[in-house]
Amino acid sequence: MEVTIKDLIYLYCVTNSLPHHLHTKDFGIGVYFIYHKGLYAVVSKVTESEFNEENLKNNLTNLEWIKTKVGIHERIIEEVMRDICVVPFKFATLFNNEDNLKAMFEEHAEELKTKLKHLEGKEEWGVKIYCDIEKLKENLIQEDEALLKISKEISASSPGKAFFSKKKKEELLNIAVNKKINEYGQYSFDRLREQSLKTRINKLLPKEVTERENDMILNSAFLVYKDKISDFISVVDILKAQYKGRGLFFDCTGPWPPYNFVTTGD
Amino acid sequence: MDNVITKSKDVTLLEVLDRVLDKGAVVSGDIVISVADVDLIYLGLKVLVSSVETMERLRGAPIEGPMQEPT
Repeated sequence: MEVTIKDLIYLYCVTNSLPHHLHTKDFGIGVYFIYHKGLYAVVSKVTESEFNEENLKNNLTNLEWIKTKVGIHERIIEEVMRDICVVPFKFATLFNNEDNLKAMFEEHAEELKTKLKHLEGKEEWGVKIYCDIEKLKENLIQEDEALLKISKEISASSPGKAFFSKKKKEELLNIAVNKKINEYGQYSFDRLREQSLKTRINKLLPKEVTERENDMILNSAFLVYKDKISDFISVVDILKAQYKGRGLFFDCTGPWPPYNFVTTGD
Repeated sequence: MDNVITKSKDVTLLEVLDRVLDKGAVVSGDIVISVADVDLIYLGLKVLVSSVETMERLRGAPIEGPMQEPT
Protein backbone atom coordinates (compact mmCIF):
# COMPACT_ATOMS: atom_id res chain seq x y z
CA MET A 1 0.00 0.00 0.00
CA GLU A 2 1.50 3.26 -1.13
CA VAL A 3 1.70 6.08 1.36
CA THR A 4 1.36 9.55 -0.07
CA ILE A 5 4.17 11.98 0.55
CA LYS A 6 2.02 14.13 2.84
CA ASP A 7 1.39 11.39 5.37
CA LEU A 8 3.63 9.94 8.01
CA ILE A 9 3.20 6.60 9.71
CA TYR A 10 2.62 6.80 13.46
CA LEU A 11 3.58 3.64 15.38
CA TYR A 12 1.55 2.85 18.52
CA CYS A 13 2.64 -0.65 19.44
CA VAL A 14 3.84 -4.00 18.15
CA THR A 15 2.27 -7.40 18.65
CA ASN A 16 2.96 -10.93 17.48
CA SER A 17 -0.64 -11.74 16.64
CA LEU A 18 -3.45 -9.88 14.97
CA PRO A 19 -5.71 -8.03 17.42
CA HIS A 20 -9.25 -9.46 17.29
CA HIS A 21 -10.86 -6.93 19.52
CA LEU A 22 -9.82 -3.71 17.85
CA HIS A 23 -12.42 -1.94 15.76
CA THR A 24 -10.36 0.49 13.78
CA LYS A 25 -13.32 2.69 12.94
CA ASP A 26 -13.99 3.31 16.62
CA PHE A 27 -11.12 5.78 16.78
CA GLY A 28 -12.00 7.61 13.63
CA ILE A 29 -8.39 7.74 12.57
CA GLY A 30 -7.91 4.60 10.53
CA VAL A 31 -5.74 2.35 12.65
CA TYR A 32 -4.31 -0.46 10.57
CA PHE A 33 -1.61 -3.13 10.72
CA ILE A 34 1.66 -3.63 8.93
CA TYR A 35 2.97 -7.18 9.01
CA HIS A 36 6.64 -8.02 8.68
CA LYS A 37 8.95 -10.74 10.02
CA GLY A 38 6.28 -12.32 12.20
CA LEU A 39 5.22 -9.08 13.86
CA TYR A 40 2.33 -6.66 13.46
CA ALA A 41 2.84 -2.93 13.80
CA VAL A 42 -0.28 -1.08 14.94
CA VAL A 43 -0.17 2.21 13.09
CA SER A 44 -2.14 5.04 11.61
CA LYS A 45 -1.42 7.73 9.10
CA VAL A 46 -0.89 11.21 10.44
CA THR A 47 -0.34 14.42 8.60
CA GLU A 48 2.93 16.18 8.11
CA SER A 49 1.22 19.38 9.11
CA GLU A 50 0.99 18.04 12.65
CA PHE A 51 3.85 15.63 13.01
CA ASN A 52 6.76 16.53 10.80
CA GLU A 53 9.87 17.51 12.71
CA GLU A 54 9.29 21.25 12.61
CA ASN A 55 5.55 21.19 13.32
CA LEU A 56 5.88 18.57 16.03
CA LYS A 57 8.20 20.82 18.00
CA ASN A 58 5.71 23.64 17.77
CA ASN A 59 2.82 21.42 18.80
CA LEU A 60 4.73 20.10 21.79
CA THR A 61 4.35 23.54 23.35
CA ASN A 62 0.55 23.34 22.98
CA LEU A 63 -0.81 21.60 26.04
CA GLU A 64 -4.27 20.96 24.59
CA TRP A 65 -2.75 19.35 21.52
CA ILE A 66 -0.59 17.13 23.72
CA LYS A 67 -3.55 16.07 25.84
CA THR A 68 -5.53 15.05 22.79
CA LYS A 69 -2.75 13.19 21.01
CA VAL A 70 -1.41 11.48 24.12
CA GLY A 71 -4.94 10.36 24.94
CA ILE A 72 -5.34 8.80 21.50
CA HIS A 73 -1.97 7.06 21.78
CA GLU A 74 -2.92 5.54 25.12
CA ARG A 75 -6.46 4.50 24.18
CA ILE A 76 -5.36 2.68 21.06
CA ILE A 77 -2.65 0.73 22.85
CA GLU A 78 -5.01 -0.14 25.71
CA GLU A 79 -7.59 -1.37 23.25
CA VAL A 80 -5.07 -3.66 21.57
CA MET A 81 -3.78 -4.78 24.97
CA ARG A 82 -7.19 -6.07 26.00
CA ASP A 83 -6.64 -9.43 24.41
CA ILE A 84 -3.02 -9.67 23.31
CA CYS A 85 0.41 -8.82 24.56
CA VAL A 86 1.91 -5.55 23.30
CA VAL A 87 5.16 -3.67 23.17
CA PRO A 88 3.99 -0.06 23.50
CA PHE A 89 6.08 2.61 21.81
CA LYS A 90 6.98 6.04 22.99
CA PHE A 91 4.70 8.89 21.98
CA ALA A 92 5.31 10.18 18.46
CA THR A 93 7.39 7.37 17.01
CA LEU A 94 7.08 8.15 13.31
CA PHE A 95 8.21 6.79 9.96
CA ASN A 96 8.21 8.43 6.58
CA ASN A 97 6.90 5.32 4.88
CA GLU A 98 6.22 1.61 5.24
CA ASP A 99 9.62 0.63 3.92
CA ASN A 100 11.30 2.52 6.73
CA LEU A 101 9.07 0.89 9.31
CA LYS A 102 9.86 -2.53 7.85
CA ALA A 103 13.55 -1.67 7.96
CA MET A 104 13.10 -1.05 11.68
CA PHE A 105 11.56 -4.53 11.97
CA GLU A 106 14.53 -5.96 10.08
CA GLU A 107 16.76 -4.52 12.77
CA HIS A 108 14.64 -5.12 15.87
CA ALA A 109 12.30 -8.04 15.17
CA GLU A 110 14.09 -10.60 17.33
CA GLU A 111 14.44 -8.17 20.21
CA LEU A 112 10.75 -7.29 20.02
CA LYS A 113 9.74 -10.95 19.89
CA THR A 114 11.83 -11.63 22.98
CA LYS A 115 10.18 -8.76 24.82
CA LEU A 116 6.71 -9.98 23.86
CA LYS A 117 7.56 -13.45 25.11
CA HIS A 118 8.81 -12.06 28.43
CA LEU A 119 5.76 -9.84 28.86
CA GLU A 120 3.20 -12.59 28.25
CA GLY A 121 0.86 -13.00 31.21
CA LYS A 122 2.14 -9.91 33.02
CA GLU A 123 0.89 -6.40 33.61
CA GLU A 124 2.42 -3.09 34.58
CA TRP A 125 1.08 -1.38 37.68
CA GLY A 126 2.13 2.01 38.95
CA VAL A 127 2.50 3.15 42.53
CA LYS A 128 3.10 6.76 43.45
CA ILE A 129 3.44 7.78 47.09
CA TYR A 130 2.74 11.28 48.33
CA CYS A 131 3.56 12.68 51.75
CA ASP A 132 1.79 15.33 53.80
CA ILE A 133 4.95 16.73 55.36
CA GLU A 134 3.11 18.71 58.04
CA LYS A 135 1.22 15.65 59.24
CA LEU A 136 4.43 13.63 59.35
CA LYS A 137 6.04 16.40 61.37
CA GLU A 138 3.17 16.29 63.86
CA ASN A 139 3.77 12.58 64.30
CA LEU A 140 7.50 12.95 64.75
CA ILE A 141 7.24 15.77 67.26
CA GLN A 142 5.18 13.43 69.44
CA GLU A 143 7.48 10.43 69.28
CA ASP A 144 11.03 11.27 68.29
CA GLU A 145 13.19 11.18 71.43
CA ALA A 146 15.57 13.95 70.42
CA LEU A 147 12.67 16.16 69.44
CA LEU A 148 10.77 15.46 72.65
CA LYS A 149 13.86 16.32 74.65
CA ILE A 150 14.48 19.61 72.88
CA SER A 151 10.79 20.52 73.15
CA LYS A 152 11.08 20.16 76.91
CA GLU A 153 14.20 22.29 76.88
CA ILE A 154 12.35 24.99 74.97
CA SER A 155 9.49 24.97 77.48
CA ALA A 156 11.90 25.36 80.37
CA SER A 157 14.14 27.94 78.72
CA SER A 158 14.45 31.68 78.86
CA PRO A 159 13.26 33.43 75.68
CA GLY A 160 16.82 34.05 74.54
CA LYS A 161 17.91 30.46 74.92
CA ALA A 162 14.63 29.14 73.51
CA PHE A 163 15.34 30.98 70.25
CA PHE A 164 18.43 28.86 69.57
CA SER A 165 16.74 25.67 70.77
CA LYS A 166 13.89 26.27 68.34
CA LYS A 167 16.42 26.61 65.54
CA LYS A 168 18.00 23.35 66.62
CA LYS A 169 14.59 21.70 66.80
CA GLU A 170 13.78 22.79 63.26
CA GLU A 171 17.03 21.25 62.00
CA LEU A 172 16.41 18.00 63.86
CA LEU A 173 12.85 17.89 62.56
CA ASN A 174 13.96 18.24 58.95
CA ILE A 175 16.54 15.50 59.40
CA ALA A 176 13.93 13.23 60.98
CA VAL A 177 11.43 13.93 58.20
CA ASN A 178 13.92 13.04 55.49
CA LYS A 179 14.96 9.91 57.33
CA LYS A 180 11.37 8.75 57.73
CA ILE A 181 10.46 9.50 54.13
CA ASN A 182 13.39 7.37 53.02
CA GLU A 183 12.48 4.62 55.47
CA TYR A 184 8.78 4.51 54.59
CA GLY A 185 9.44 4.76 50.86
CA GLN A 186 12.04 2.01 50.94
CA TYR A 187 9.92 -0.28 53.10
CA SER A 188 6.86 0.19 50.87
CA PHE A 189 8.87 -0.32 47.72
CA ASP A 190 10.45 -3.50 49.10
CA ARG A 191 7.08 -4.99 50.07
CA LEU A 192 5.74 -4.33 46.58
CA ARG A 193 8.88 -5.55 44.89
CA GLU A 194 8.36 -8.90 46.61
CA GLN A 195 5.02 -9.16 44.77
CA SER A 196 6.49 -8.37 41.37
CA LEU A 197 8.84 -9.72 38.73
CA LYS A 198 10.50 -6.45 37.79
CA THR A 199 10.46 -2.96 39.18
CA ARG A 200 11.39 0.48 38.03
CA ILE A 201 11.85 3.66 40.03
CA ASN A 202 11.22 6.83 38.07
CA LYS A 203 11.94 10.44 38.65
CA LEU A 204 9.88 12.34 41.15
CA LEU A 205 7.54 14.96 39.81
CA PRO A 206 7.12 18.31 41.54
CA LYS A 207 3.81 19.69 42.77
CA GLU A 208 3.60 22.00 39.78
CA VAL A 209 3.24 18.94 37.57
CA THR A 210 1.23 16.68 39.89
CA GLU A 211 -1.07 19.49 41.00
CA ARG A 212 -1.23 17.74 44.36
CA GLU A 213 -0.91 19.49 47.69
CA ASN A 214 1.49 16.84 48.94
CA ASP A 215 5.03 16.00 47.89
CA MET A 216 5.69 12.94 45.75
CA ILE A 217 8.19 10.70 47.53
CA LEU A 218 8.11 7.61 45.32
CA ASN A 219 7.30 7.07 41.65
CA SER A 220 7.53 3.40 40.81
CA ALA A 221 6.32 0.79 38.35
CA PHE A 222 5.96 -2.95 38.87
CA LEU A 223 5.62 -5.83 36.44
CA VAL A 224 3.22 -8.30 38.03
CA TYR A 225 1.88 -11.69 36.97
CA LYS A 226 -1.74 -11.21 35.95
CA ASP A 227 -2.84 -14.03 38.23
CA LYS A 228 -1.06 -12.43 41.20
CA ILE A 229 -2.59 -8.99 40.86
CA SER A 230 -4.90 -9.51 43.84
CA ASP A 231 -1.90 -10.19 46.08
CA PHE A 232 -0.19 -7.06 44.82
CA ILE A 233 -3.29 -4.94 45.45
CA SER A 234 -3.66 -6.43 48.92
CA VAL A 235 -0.16 -5.32 49.83
CA VAL A 236 -0.90 -1.82 48.53
CA ASP A 237 -4.01 -1.72 50.72
CA ILE A 238 -2.04 -2.85 53.77
CA LEU A 239 0.55 -0.15 53.19
CA LYS A 240 -2.16 2.48 52.70
CA ALA A 241 -3.70 1.59 56.05
CA GLN A 242 -0.34 1.33 57.78
CA TYR A 243 0.83 4.79 56.75
CA LYS A 244 -2.37 6.79 56.51
CA GLY A 245 -1.94 8.18 60.02
CA ARG A 246 1.59 9.23 59.13
CA GLY A 247 0.55 11.39 56.20
CA LEU A 248 1.41 9.03 53.34
CA PHE A 249 -0.97 8.56 50.41
CA PHE A 250 -0.68 5.81 47.81
CA ASP A 251 -1.86 6.08 44.22
CA CYS A 252 -2.03 2.64 42.65
CA THR A 253 -2.90 2.64 38.95
CA GLY A 254 -3.14 -0.07 36.35
CA PRO A 255 -3.16 -2.20 34.40
CA TRP A 256 -0.97 -0.22 32.02
CA PRO A 257 0.68 -1.17 28.79
CA PRO A 258 4.20 -2.16 29.92
CA TYR A 259 5.88 1.13 29.06
CA ASN A 260 8.42 0.81 31.85
CA PHE A 261 9.56 -2.65 30.85
CA VAL A 262 10.29 -2.38 27.14
CA THR A 263 13.38 -0.20 27.14
CA THR A 264 16.71 -1.61 26.04
CA GLY A 265 18.15 -3.95 28.60
CA ASP A 266 14.81 -4.98 30.12
CA MET B 1 -8.91 -14.46 36.35
CA ASP B 2 -11.02 -11.36 36.69
CA ASN B 3 -9.35 -8.08 37.35
CA VAL B 4 -9.51 -7.45 41.07
CA ILE B 5 -9.43 -3.77 40.43
CA THR B 6 -10.28 -1.83 37.34
CA LYS B 7 -8.24 1.18 36.45
CA SER B 8 -9.15 4.09 38.64
CA LYS B 9 -11.43 6.56 36.93
CA ASP B 10 -9.36 9.20 38.63
CA VAL B 11 -6.33 8.43 36.50
CA THR B 12 -4.96 11.79 35.57
CA LEU B 13 -3.24 13.17 32.54
CA LEU B 14 -0.12 13.00 34.67
CA GLU B 15 -0.20 9.21 34.78
CA VAL B 16 -0.46 8.93 31.02
CA LEU B 17 2.16 11.58 30.34
CA ASP B 18 4.49 9.96 32.83
CA ARG B 19 4.46 6.87 30.64
CA VAL B 20 3.97 7.76 27.01
CA LEU B 21 6.43 10.65 26.95
CA ASP B 22 9.24 9.16 28.97
CA LYS B 23 8.76 5.43 28.53
CA GLY B 24 7.77 2.95 25.89
CA ALA B 25 10.00 1.30 23.33
CA VAL B 26 12.34 3.58 21.46
CA VAL B 27 13.68 2.82 18.01
CA SER B 28 15.38 4.90 15.40
CA GLY B 29 12.19 6.08 13.80
CA ASP B 30 12.37 8.87 11.28
CA ILE B 31 11.04 11.24 13.92
CA VAL B 32 11.12 10.61 17.65
CA ILE B 33 10.74 13.37 20.20
CA SER B 34 13.81 13.97 22.31
CA VAL B 35 14.33 14.09 26.05
CA ALA B 36 14.59 17.85 25.78
CA ASP B 37 11.15 17.95 24.18
CA VAL B 38 9.74 15.89 27.05
CA ASP B 39 11.21 18.26 29.60
CA LEU B 40 9.71 21.12 27.63
CA ILE B 41 6.28 19.56 28.01
CA TYR B 42 6.71 19.20 31.73
CA LEU B 43 7.80 22.81 31.83
CA GLY B 44 4.58 23.65 30.06
CA LEU B 45 2.73 21.95 32.90
CA LYS B 46 3.12 24.97 35.14
CA VAL B 47 6.69 24.34 36.16
CA LEU B 48 8.36 27.68 36.66
CA VAL B 49 11.27 28.00 34.28
CA SER B 50 13.22 30.03 36.79
CA SER B 51 13.16 27.32 39.41
CA VAL B 52 16.46 25.46 39.33
CA GLU B 53 15.30 23.40 42.29
CA THR B 54 12.27 22.29 40.33
CA MET B 55 14.41 21.18 37.42
CA GLU B 56 16.63 19.24 39.78
CA ARG B 57 13.60 17.63 41.38
CA LEU B 58 12.42 16.55 37.95
CA ARG B 59 15.54 14.42 37.78
CA GLY B 60 15.61 13.25 41.37
CA ALA B 61 14.70 9.83 42.72
CA PRO B 62 13.97 9.01 46.37
CA ILE B 63 15.61 5.63 46.70
CA GLU B 64 18.75 5.98 44.67
CA GLY B 65 19.50 9.68 44.92
CA PRO B 66 19.96 12.13 47.75
CA MET B 67 16.82 13.09 49.58
CA GLN B 68 15.27 16.41 48.82
CA GLU B 69 14.72 18.97 51.52
CA PRO B 70 11.05 19.32 52.39
CA THR B 71 9.75 22.59 51.03
